[in-house]
Amino acid sequence: METDHELIEQVRGGDDDAFRLLVERHSRAIYRSAYRITGNSADADDVVQETFLRAYRALERFDARAAFTTWIHRIAINCSLDLIDSRKRRDGRVNDGEDLTAIASTAASPDRVVHGIEMQRAVALAMERLSGNERTAFVLRHFEGMPLEEIGKVLGTQLNATKNTVFRAVKKLREQLQPFTGSLI
Amino acid sequence: MNHLSHDEFVLSYYGEPGLGDDRRAHLDACDSCRGELTSLAAVLDRVTPVEVPEPEDGYEARVWDRLQWRLNAGRASARRGRAEARPTWSTWMALAATIAIAFFAGVLWKSRTAKVVEPAPQVVQKGNPATSKPAAEPNRILLVVVGEHIDQSERVLVELTNLTPEGNVDISGTRDRAQELLASNRLYRTTATTRGEEDVATLLDELEPVLLQLAHAPSEVSADELRHMQKRVESKGLVFKLRVVRAGVNHESRTPAPPSTSI
Repeated sequence: METDHELIEQVRGGDDDAFRLLVERHSRAIYRSAYRITGNSADADDVVQETFLRAYRALERFDARAAFTTWIHRIAINCSLDLIDSRKRRDGRVNDGEDLTAIASTAASPDRVVHGIEMQRAVALAMERLSGNERTAFVLRHFEGMPLEEIGKVLGTQLNATKNTVFRAVKKLREQLQPFTGSLI
Repeated sequence: MNHLSHDEFVLSYYGEPGLGDDRRAHLDACDSCRGELTSLAAVLDRVTPVEVPEPEDGYEARVWDRLQWRLNAGRASARRGRAEARPTWSTWMALAATIAIAFFAGVLWKSRTAKVVEPAPQVVQKGNPATSKPAAEPNRILLVVVGEHIDQSERVLVELTNLTPEGNVDISGTRDRAQELLASNRLYRTTATTRGEEDVATLLDELEPVLLQLAHAPSEVSADELRHMQKRVESKGLVFKLRVVRAGVNHESRTPAPPSTSI
C-alpha cells in the first residue's frame, strides 16, 4: 500500500485518483475531530468537505517532512473554527434560552447523575458557550491529550496565549459545571 | 508560600510542564491546595468525550463524490464556452417563487380577514399557537427556492475560486451563470427582507456585489484580475457562509409545519 507521501506526489503529478485514496483513508478521522469541535454531524460533514478542498488547493505547499495526518488535521481544525465563528455570527449566542441551573436542579436525583445523562447535556451546553478558540483548545488538550505547545502550533498562537485560552476554557466550564459535581461530593 | 493559582492547578491537572519544583512541593504539602486540585479534578474528570456517531457505510465514497464535483467544477468552467451557458431557468424560478409566495400570503390574508368578519368559536390547544401558521407556509416556499439559489451561487463561487490564475483565463461560463443568478438574487433578497428572513436577506445582500462584479466582467480576465476576484470571495468567506445558511435553510424548510387545525 502506498504511503501518504507517495500518494501526494502522484496527486502533484495530476493523478486525482490518488487524492481519492487520501480522502478515503482520512475522511473518517477528520469527521470525528470535526464532530468533537462542532458538536453535530451536518457541520462535521461540511468541515470534511472544506478540509479536503483546502488541502487539495494547498497540496503544492505541503512540506514533505511533515506528517500528512497532522497537516490535514490542522486544516480541519481551522475549518471547524471558521464554521463555528460563522455560525455564531449568524445565530448569535448559542442556546441562550437553556438555563444550566435549571438542568442542575433536575440533576439532584442520584440515579440520573450516575447515568450521566444530565451531566452530558450540561457539558454539551457549557462547551457551546465557549468561544471557537477556547472550545478547540480545550478539546485538543482534554479529549485528544495534545500538549499545549502542539495546540499552539495548530492554532497558530504563542504558548502563553494558548495556555491562557485553555485556562479560560477550564475556568468557564468549571463555573458552569461545579453545581453538578457539588451534588456528588 | 502562596497557594497555587487557578492556572497552576490546570497545569498540574494536565501534567503540563511549567510548574516549578517549589510549587510542586507546596502542592504536596498543602491540604488546601490539594483539596482545590481535587475539586477541579471532580469537574474535569466528568467532562468525558462526546460520543461521535459513526458515519454510515460508504461514507468515504460519498465524501469523494461531492468533493470530486467541486474539484472538477473549476476545470470544467474554464473549458465551458458561452454557447453552453445554462438557460435562464433560475430567473423564471425566482419569479415563480415570488408569485407563489404572494399568492399564498394573499390567500392566508383573505382567510384571516374572513375569520374576523365571521368569527367562529375557537378552542385553541395550549402549546399549539395558531397565530404562527400564516407566515410559516410562504416562508417555507421561500426557503425551498432560496436553498436552490444558494446552492447554485455556491457552485459559481467555487468554480471561480478553483480557477488557476495563469495568463488570460476564460470565465465566460461562470460569468453567464452569475448574470442569471444576479436577477434572481435581487428578487429573493427583496422577498426575504419583506418576509422577515433577516439571515437570508443579509447573506444575499453580501452576495450581490460579488455576483454583480462577476456578471459585468469580460469573458477573459488576466491572472491579476482573477486573483483579485478570488480574493474578494475568500476574504468575505462567502462560500462558507453560503454553506452555513444553506444548511439552516434546508433544515427549516424540511421542519414539519405546525398542525393546520386547532382542537
